[in-house]
Amino acid sequence: MLIALALLLTGGLYLGVNARLARAGRALLDLQSERAELQRQIEDLKSTWAELTMPHKMLARARELGFEPARMQDIEYVVVEGYQPPAPFIAPRPPSSNSLREGSLSPAYTETLGDWLARLIRPREGARP
Amino acid sequence: MMNPSLPYRRVYMLLMVMIAAVVAMIVQLIRVQFGPYAPVFATWVEAAEETRDEVEPARGLIYDRDGDLMATNVSMYYLEVEVFQLTEVSRKQIAAVLSRALVLPYEDLYAQLNRDWGSLGQYRIRLTRMVGDGERWPITVDQVAAEMLKGFLLDPEAPDLSGLKLVPAPSREYPAGSLAGHVLGFVNQEGKGFFGVEGFYDGWLAGKPMTIERGYIPLQARLEPDPPAGVNLILTLDMDIQQMAEQALAEALESTGAEAGQILIMDPRNGEMLAMAIAPPLDPNNYEPWLDEQGLELEELEEAEEPVINPAVGGQFEPGSTFKVLTMAAALDADLVEPGTEFIDTGVIEVGGVRIRNWNGGAWGPQTMVGCMKHSLNVCLAWLASEKLGPSTFYDYLTAFGIGRATGIDLAGEVGGQLRTPRHPEWTEADLGTNAFGQGVSVTPVQLLAAVGAVANEGVMLQPHVVRAVVGPEGAYWPNPTVLGRPISAETARTLTGMLAESLEGETHFAHVNGYRLAGKTGTAQIPTEKGYDERWTIASFVGWGPVDDPRFIVLVRLDKPETSPWGSVVAAPVFQEVVERLVTMLEIPPDAVRAQLAAQGVQAQVEQQ
Repeated sequence: MLIALALLLTGGLYLGVNARLARAGRALLDLQSERAELQRQIEDLKSTWAELTMPHKMLARARELGFEPARMQDIEYVVVEGYQPPAPFIAPRPPSSNSLREGSLSPAYTETLGDWLARLIRPREGARP
Repeated sequence: MMNPSLPYRRVYMLLMVMIAAVVAMIVQLIRVQFGPYAPVFATWVEAAEETRDEVEPARGLIYDRDGDLMATNVSMYYLEVEVFQLTEVSRKQIAAVLSRALVLPYEDLYAQLNRDWGSLGQYRIRLTRMVGDGERWPITVDQVAAEMLKGFLLDPEAPDLSGLKLVPAPSREYPAGSLAGHVLGFVNQEGKGFFGVEGFYDGWLAGKPMTIERGYIPLQARLEPDPPAGVNLILTLDMDIQQMAEQALAEALESTGAEAGQILIMDPRNGEMLAMAIAPPLDPNNYEPWLDEQGLELEELEEAEEPVINPAVGGQFEPGSTFKVLTMAAALDADLVEPGTEFIDTGVIEVGGVRIRNWNGGAWGPQTMVGCMKHSLNVCLAWLASEKLGPSTFYDYLTAFGIGRATGIDLAGEVGGQLRTPRHPEWTEADLGTNAFGQGVSVTPVQLLAAVGAVANEGVMLQPHVVRAVVGPEGAYWPNPTVLGRPISAETARTLTGMLAESLEGETHFAHVNGYRLAGKTGTAQIPTEKGYDERWTIASFVGWGPVDDPRFIVLVRLDKPETSPWGSVVAAPVFQEVVERLVTMLEIPPDAVRAQLAAQGVQAQVEQQ
């Protein structure tokens, strides 16, 4: 009876650990899904922003505000001491692959009971006889 | 005294509870394995077993030189349905909602939802819509519609859309619409780039797909690696200048009745294209109508090696009198003539048995070389090529100017034009005479721009290009300008520029811009047909640059088949004038007098608009 009870308790404990692991995995999947959704939203917002700042729309908005395109005769050139022309635009770098640095989780999160036992039995790598 | 059976009773009770839990789990397992949803779970298991998945990276973005986004990625959504989650109510309500929101026939949607997919072994389907000739395409919705549907799925008070799933898929978007559409090209639904920058840099923009081990089961979940994204490109184009050029071109087509045209603007010092306005325009967001107009099929284009679609790099034409710039450059550079060299124009010259006459059929009498260019005398230029240069020297110079050879501009679909040299079996001596004034030779607009750009740039011919920088995860790469050659000396270039500036001030007053000394040449080219040259239509053009003492821009205007006048001096030169008047403002180039004053004060280009 006690053996059965011990087995059931061990089984229950194992199930509990696995259930928590599954919940963590579920949470990870949800976070990945949320991350993908947020990236999509960022891209969509970039596109919306770009559409709103296109030259023809900016020109129309400027005209609504009472501005007119400058013409040759409207312009006076003056020397501004120390004036530096704006630096050339540099686009943001695209995201690099995270496959090498972040592609897998630490064994602390993924090691199973069997893996742990195997690690205990297997001689340590590099250990001297 | 304690009851001895109590601990046992507690143990029994605990045991019963645990056994009940185990039984419940077994029942649930049996239900999952053999219950009504067993096929759905089986499908999931099959999907989970296929853990290797190819992930497409985000396509690189395209910016103009000032950082305005020209091509970006947005999400569209496919509509999919888990057929075993559908109820009779949700079938009707999904069909009703989609029918109203997307203006699709209710009956067609309901029929798809009501079909017995399970008997076909399908448990998840993608909803489709009918397009022409019985073909069905997947239904896609944009972000706004997707947000609405997601709201319905989460709201218990909203219509019951149980079973409906929104599956995101990336889509390319061009925020500026048709602005610079020919330069950008487009991307099809499979993510392949065609034409323009999208086609030329497709491999770089697309990035490298990555095969990953994907865990759908929570216990197997792990952080998914991101594939290396495509590079971002910074173009040489300036969206404001592009907008101005396209506006000027649209107005020119309207006022002259021309059927097509181009305005190309390049910085001759480095070959950077500042604008490439092309009409009729191409809207890369909606490219199917354009393909239909051109009689092209996307499937065929995928197999074609060099499809012609961008007229600036793929549209050949006989340049006419703008080509005289190159003939005169050759004669000056070979020290055969000087600006003041006299030529007596009798109104006709025979070369290789062909009688060549001037554009007006008249004889212009004694002329200098400046006069020959000012009055655009065919006879004079044919005389230069045949009597002075000779075929060997003449064609050597044309070859040095890159005629008959693609410039290598970084746009898909460039062709090299056609130049018959004496080595060509069909070449005749008459070609020497007609080629001298731009007949019997074909060039692309960008090729002509590069060649004449050498005259503007002290004799150094630079490769036109549209990509200024490539930005990858490791950093930005700024390619150096590529020198295509030095067909003429700097002295010849300056002399010819002066001659063309003088002729512009005298003859082509339509191209004159107050305060700026410019050089340029008109062109009126006949259009070859199978039965000789078209008697009615011409291609009117103008190529010019400035300021002549420090050229910052070279502009080519081309109008195809203008109705109001056939002459480049009448229809194309005013467009050049209008463009340059706006261009000097946008590029912040002070008038010549102001620049001279600043130079006298030792001030460089550090000026600011007020």
